[in-house]
Amino acid sequence: MNSIIPIYLIGISHKTAPVAIREQVALDSTEQERVIQTLISEYALDGCMIISTCNRTEIYFSGHLTEDVQKQIRQRLNQLKNTDLFVSDEHIFVYSGERAVAHFFQVISGLDSQIIGEPQITGQVKDGYQLAHELKSTGALINKLLEFGLQTGKRIRNETFLSNGAVSVSFAGVELARKIFSDLSGKRVLLIGAGETAELAALHFLDKGVSKVHIANRTLSKAEALAEKFRGSAHALEELPQLLQICDIVISATSSSDYLVTREMMKKIGYERRSQPIILIDLAIPRDIEPSVQKIENVYLYNLDALQEIVRLNLKKREKEIPTALEIVDEMVSEYESWCKVHSLGSFIEQLTHYFDTLRQNELARLNSRLPEEGLEEVEYLTQSILNKILHRHISFLKQSTLNSGDHTRGMEMIRKIYGMDGG
Amino acid sequence: MKALGILGCYLMPLLYLGITYFYYTVFLGTNKRLAKRSTWLLTGLIAIHLLHLGLFHFSINRMLFSSVYDFLSFLSFSIVLVYLIIELRLNNKASGFFILSFAFIVELISLIYLNPGVSPNPLLKNPGFVLHVSMTIIGYTALALSAIYALMYILQERSIKKHRFGVIFQQLPALKYLEKMSIQAVVIGIIFLGFGIIHGHVQANKVLGTFWLPDIKVIMLDALWLIYVLGYFLSKILRWYGRRMAWLSLLAFLILLVGGMVVSNISTSFHHFF
Repeated sequence: MNSIIPIYLIGISHKTAPVAIREQVALDSTEQERVIQTLISEYALDGCMIISTCNRTEIYFSGHLTEDVQKQIRQRLNQLKNTDLFVSDEHIFVYSGERAVAHFFQVISGLDSQIIGEPQITGQVKDGYQLAHELKSTGALINKLLEFGLQTGKRIRNETFLSNGAVSVSFAGVELARKIFSDLSGKRVLLIGAGETAELAALHFLDKGVSKVHIANRTLSKAEALAEKFRGSAHALEELPQLLQICDIVISATSSSDYLVTREMMKKIGYERRSQPIILIDLAIPRDIEPSVQKIENVYLYNLDALQEIVRLNLKKREKEIPTALEIVDEMVSEYESWCKVHSLGSFIEQLTHYFDTLRQNELARLNSRLPEEGLEEVEYLTQSILNKILHRHISFLKQSTLNSGDHTRGMEMIRKIYGMDGG
Repeated sequence: MKALGILGCYLMPLLYLGITYFYYTVFLGTNKRLAKRSTWLLTGLIAIHLLHLGLFHFSINRMLFSSVYDFLSFLSFSIVLVYLIIELRLNNKASGFFILSFAFIVELISLIYLNPGVSPNPLLKNPGFVLHVSMTIIGYTALALSAIYALMYILQERSIKKHRFGVIFQQLPALKYLEKMSIQAVVIGIIFLGFGIIHGHVQANKVLGTFWLPDIKVIMLDALWLIYVLGYFLSKILRWYGRRMAWLSLLAFLILLVGGMVVSNISTSFHHFF
């Protein structure tokens, strides 16, 4: 079978299998190398690339493969991974042509991710490509597949809201702070508590350019350890009133059973702060900040419920963008298909030229002993001239059929059959 | 030619309505592709409006600002122009819907006063008058924009405070940005209105022989300008920020708007040209 897009995919993902199944076919980089090298050498593939993350294992091939060869590849994958999952249709999906390309574009742009629009997948796909490229196993079709895939991702990011808005509670705090301060550079962050939750939230804020992190904790040594990590300063909880005067963003995540930040405390510091806004993010359960501080002017308090609501709304908004993103994917698949047509015509012309030239060389070699030496050069010129004329007719025919119907594959098939050329 | 000019007057509010609706879709954030074209559409609207004002006045053989229609139409034009500059400078389109809605209403109201046949007041034939009015209108526009940004601040602050994370929260810019824009617009308003007022007094001296006339309209505008100046400096000294400043800006503009309307309609003033 000769498809316009000779790309094939054998894969498993979070949509088709639970983690217990996915982990059985996951491939680390050493295994990926082995699989790629084995398949390329045993099945004469044009290219092979693997994407293996915690959510998916997908093996992409390029080249014209018969259904038999595809089955053999699945069996071989079973052997290599010592499983029977690759031949089962329960969890494994097998796509070819446009569908495989569309799937790849959806994966690289985060449309197929568990959290729609998440950007990490692009890097993971690039890693998979890089490994295949180092093994010289990508080939022209896969090189272009990645190029078009990255363009698809870029278009989706620019033309839709698929990657907008925070989708994690810790990042939702940053989104809220930016709705108040716009630019977070130069802002001071106060962490109350030195646990993992506070640390993760602080990392997001540091990423957005806050100037300094202060850590106040009951156990000072823990605060000091975290302060060293963030190049911040460690404080005892007793210093909270002074710290609240100078900080703009407060993240509280302790296990305290009492309020650590009270309305009375915030009212007192309000005058000192001279109306400068302060955002309080209470990630603790039970809560660390007295809820009534929200009533004070320029004080903005958020708890876990509020942050989760932001995440929920952002995810809903991303979901609404899926149809537009899929339209972009379809457009890009068509563009890739057009490129494949041009590419396959070019390769076929090369094959045809090689085929005729081999015929000519063989005939010349056969006649070589029977022809006088002084006439050899002229015969060589004559045969080359005839060959060029014949080739020109064939190329014109293929180009004309592309112009007429946009498809030259039938013409190529016909020529292959006439001359008994092998597919490929 | 005249009929074409008048037709243009009726078409302008429709164009404003179309662009306002376009910015409404941008505000809702439903289509990122459309949002990219909004700046071009707005530039097109400004060009068409400018062309319309030129052709219309050429067709009726009158100078700009010779009627209430001219005043209001130029006001909506300058609102859109100032907004476009802000949009390009800060690359934020979320406030466009609010500002264009205001411009559309002004453009629509201008039609009530469309009367191309009426003869203008002889004072309006003085070219210096065009400069006085232009400055004053730009000043008004800036103060109007400041009030719109203040209103947006109040809406956004309310959403943030009440944990309402809907369209207003998502589409309106950050509080600090809105506050900054509102204050910047006040400063521009004070400067231009100040120049407009001073130029008006100079013109009065040239035409009427006195710098200052005890006229209710002049008194009110001068007083309001002083209130804006005092309010601005007081807010700096007393460090009024955020919601308090937004309410102040909104209130000052409401006084300016309502006071202007009352004075125009119930008082007798030499400053009554139309």
